[in-house]
Amino acid sequence: MECFIFEAAEKCFGMEAHYIYSIADDIQITPVPLAPPCYRGLIYFRGDLFDVIDMGSLMGKERSLPNGNPYVILLKWGQRKLSLISDKIIGITWIENNNGSQTVFTKEGRTVELITPEEIWKILSELPYGP
Amino acid sequence: MNRTSIKNKLILSFLVLILIVVVVVGIANQITNDFITAHAISAALALAAGIIFGGIFSRSIVRRLNSLSSAAKEISRGNLSREIPLLSQDEIRDLEEAFAMMVNDLRDMISEIKRGSSRIEETGGDLSGLIDKVLANSQEIDESALAIAKGSEEQTFIVQKTSLVINKSLEEMDEAARQSAQTVSKANNALVKTETGGANARETLSYLEDVLKQMVENAEPIYRLSNKVEKIKMVMSVMEELSQKTDLLSLNASIEATRAGEMGKGFALVANEIRNMAENSKQSSQEIRRIVDDIFEDNKAVLMSLRKSEDHVAKGREIIHGIVDTFGEMLSGVKDISTEVKKVGDVTRKQAKEMRGLLSQFQELSRLAQENFVSTQRTTIGTKNQKEEIREIVAAMKSLNVLSEKMMETQRRFRLRRD
Repeated sequence: MECFIFEAAEKCFGMEAHYIYSIADDIQITPVPLAPPCYRGLIYFRGDLFDVIDMGSLMGKERSLPNGNPYVILLKWGQRKLSLISDKIIGITWIENNNGSQTVFTKEGRTVELITPEEIWKILSELPYGP
Repeated sequence: MNRTSIKNKLILSFLVLILIVVVVVGIANQITNDFITAHAISAALALAAGIIFGGIFSRSIVRRLNSLSSAAKEISRGNLSREIPLLSQDEIRDLEEAFAMMVNDLRDMISEIKRGSSRIEETGGDLSGLIDKVLANSQEIDESALAIAKGSEEQTFIVQKTSLVINKSLEEMDEAARQSAQTVSKANNALVKTETGGANARETLSYLEDVLKQMVENAEPIYRLSNKVEKIKMVMSVMEELSQKTDLLSLNASIEATRAGEMGKGFALVANEIRNMAENSKQSSQEIRRIVDDIFEDNKAVLMSLRKSEDHVAKGREIIHGIVDTFGEMLSGVKDISTEVKKVGDVTRKQAKEMRGLLSQFQELSRLAQENFVSTQRTTIGTKNQKEEIREIVAAMKSLNVLSEKMMETQRRFRLRRD
């Protein structure tokens, strides 16, 4: 399968490439009050609103690219939209996943942990919101 | 009054007696014719006349001589008040006058002696008072001489001590004058060295000006390089942005190619290559940026160093300007010091000369003090002798008083006036 690989929280994450809607930069992130620290805000891209999630904070580590102007990985699946901020985008690569149960791969010397947008959504839904 | 001498009187009396005898003889011859009777009568009458005349004459002389004798006796008893009567007109008159003169002289003499005794007595009293005063004065002179001697001794001691101090001061002043001369010499050397230093500082300043000018000229290419590096950085920014955009574009192209499935695989390969190129380009850009940054930093450091050097050189120039000024002031100061030290030396020498004069005067003063001491010793001896002499005078005065008393007693025996 085509796997989009990026680095965050000192790990390499892989996601099936068809979830990736686009990669954007120079996007103005609008902060949202009373949200968890990993929730950086909202962006407006090509007529859609995307939630912006910091993968470093989400994984319990330091914020990803705290000072720089990051690439934002825009995800779209079903009716849901999400965008992720990572430390580094590695790119798209082909990995073998015959039975679909394997969640960790080793590619070009990197250990890649497969993750889906649903899992991220689930983590987000378990976070406390509000004051 | 006509004086008649006794001889004439005797001659006259004899002639009168002869005349009487002649007359008597004539008368007797007339009366009687008897010769013997006539002669007897004549002789008797002549004897009688002789006795009468002789008696009268002798009585006259004896009376006056008795008067003189009585006066002499009274005078011998001290009665000089009696006047000597001048009764005679003959040679006894001379005796009377001589006697009267003698009495007068005696009277005057006694009066004179009396006055003299009184004067001696008064003078004795005055002299006694004067002697007391002289003795008191001698005592004071003695005490003063003693005080002067003590003072002279102390004066001599002080003068000698002061002379020692002056001698020491003189030595120090000589040393100071010598040091002043040495200082003048050193100041002159310092003057020469300061002039040399000033010239060197001016030369250094000129050299520093050249260095600064050269530095400014040398800095020009570095400034130009800095501007060019800035431009390179701008170009690099554009290149980096371009590679970033290319990277993003290729990434999105890869995503789109993935979404296209089998149809997009070729495009995906191209996009991947483009992404690799963009990545390489980005890395190269980053490498170039690092190098340019290094160049920029180095250039910046060089510029800073140059600015610092310029600042330092400017400061150095200011310092050397200050040094030149300081050398000028030092030159002026050293000249002033030299002049002042020379003046001090002159003044010190003059003072030393005056001190020598003072020392000489002090030595003279010491000599005078010693002489004073000797004089006071002599004065003490003199006053001692004077006291002895005064005692002798007192003794003589006492003798004189005794003599005066005796004279007074003697003259009291004489009665000068008739009371």
